[in-house]
Amino acid sequence: MPLSAIQKVATAQNGVGAFILPCKRITLRYCDWAGSSKGMNAYLKTQLGFFAKRNPQIEIQVYKKANDHPAITAYYLNGHQRSVNVKNMAPEEIKEKLELLRNSSPEKNKRVPAKPVTSINENVRGIWSPFHGAKIKI
Amino acid sequence: MKRIRISSCATPSLAPSAARRPLCPYAAALHRTIAPHNHRIQARFQTTAAVEEFGGQKIEIETPAFKTEKTRSPSRRPHRHVTPEHMPSPHPYEANQSIKLSALRARLSLPQRFPLQTLARTLVHPSADPDPAFNNASLSILGGNLLSYYTSEHLLCNYPRLPMEVVFAATEAYVGPRALAIVASEWGIEAAAEPGGEVEPGLLQFKRLKPGEGIPAALRKQVPWKWNVTQTHRIVATDEFGSHNAPPTPQSLANVPVPMEEAAQSFVRALVGSLHLHLGAPLVKRFFKSHFLSRHLDLSDMFDFRTPTRDLSRLCAREGFEAPVARLISETGRLSRHPVFIVGIYSGKDKLGEGAGASLEEARFRAAAASLKAWYLYRPLDATVPSSMEGELDTTKWKPNMIDCGEVIV
Repeated sequence: MPLSAIQKVATAQNGVGAFILPCKRITLRYCDWAGSSKGMNAYLKTQLGFFAKRNPQIEIQVYKKANDHPAITAYYLNGHQRSVNVKNMAPEEIKEKLELLRNSSPEKNKRVPAKPVTSINENVRGIWSPFHGAKIKI
Repeated sequence: MKRIRISSCATPSLAPSAARRPLCPYAAALHRTIAPHNHRIQARFQTTAAVEEFGGQKIEIETPAFKTEKTRSPSRRPHRHVTPEHMPSPHPYEANQSIKLSALRARLSLPQRFPLQTLARTLVHPSADPDPAFNNASLSILGGNLLSYYTSEHLLCNYPRLPMEVVFAATEAYVGPRALAIVASEWGIEAAAEPGGEVEPGLLQFKRLKPGEGIPAALRKQVPWKWNVTQTHRIVATDEFGSHNAPPTPQSLANVPVPMEEAAQSFVRALVGSLHLHLGAPLVKRFFKSHFLSRHLDLSDMFDFRTPTRDLSRLCAREGFEAPVARLISETGRLSRHPVFIVGIYSGKDKLGEGAGASLEEARFRAAAASLKAWYLYRPLDATVPSSMEGELDTTKWKPNMIDCGEVIV
């Protein structure tokens, strides 16, 4: 055979065609007795419905755990999860935390390296080459 | 062995009692709102019968004559209420309560009119539920054909000179088994530990392999039917990826433990098939474009040339170009440890390609490969695919596609 093919798998570019939100599930834990869950309980009663309606792609689970601080855990498409302890927080703060988890990337927090940005797309102008063009005589 | 009663479905008024489960969830939903729906159910039964012919699974379809006999023997008809634990897959009515399914529908931006019962059915692999009226075998056959059709027409219309080997590999890269399994995991599909009627319907239902158990014989790589399998055989007789043997039919995997990859890819195929049935071809084409064609695949990385210089000279002879000549364009450090040579391949006054290498021979080979890729990866401007004209009355937008005489044969 003069020519054979190299097997590959096309790689995802989330957002180039369809965008799929990485956050797939959020669980909210509350306690109906302890004071640290006061804000959480208020949030569940008044605002969680709006959040759920705005984000139909996220599966929301609410569960009670007695004698424990309230917490929010978000599960992402790649299997990672992030948790936030929301004890003694006001409903507005909990709302912010929920938005934070919704918009987060599932990857671990890491420093953005000071490397140049690379792209898979071809450069329109081409790359400068020392081997081409006018020869400079020194 | 499951029995399907055609008569009880086709004429619901004559049927003495309800079946164990509604035979088609969508039709059953319609049944509650719209009175005449016989044509729908009959259409479903045609597909079911086709599935029965395809796979090795034996399903007895009772004829009306049989039915009248058997209604008299009550022992043959276990139609009493069955607990979910005794069902092989979740009841279709459970799907409306599933938050996982509605979240999945919203995640894929599917419209509300796409029923959750069908989405739940696409998640049931034949290994979990052998009943073709409840598993995704028929839908995955349809979806698999649609996926390979849209992929191959995209490749053939946009890259008319692509060699057949690369067409096969590119199709597999877009909609091959591994690609579909990865797509399913990127859609957030989770698998049930064990299939059953009591399981959440938003989970992928399939019978898992036991630890230490090999993959089933149907999925194992088989010895080709003869050793000199031709390109024509691979195009015509087997699957769209140019395999040597035809793949197993979905229904032949009924009750067979399968790896998760197999179940996940059957889900993606079945989803595309069910989208086609419920929402129509234009939406499926948009779905395919946004979820599959938007993935990144560099076709120029998929070529593996054995003898590029020989292929190129054959190509030039075939096309009537002047014989290709390699010329040194530039070089540096010929006597050093890291020399670089830039070689161009010229046919007459036209430069066909250019390559850089650490030796003259390497640079010449790279230049020849670059010239061949420049030929094979030719892309016509604004190519129209055949499926874009489906159902169109105005065909003036259609541009006939270029058809190339094919790759170089040495």
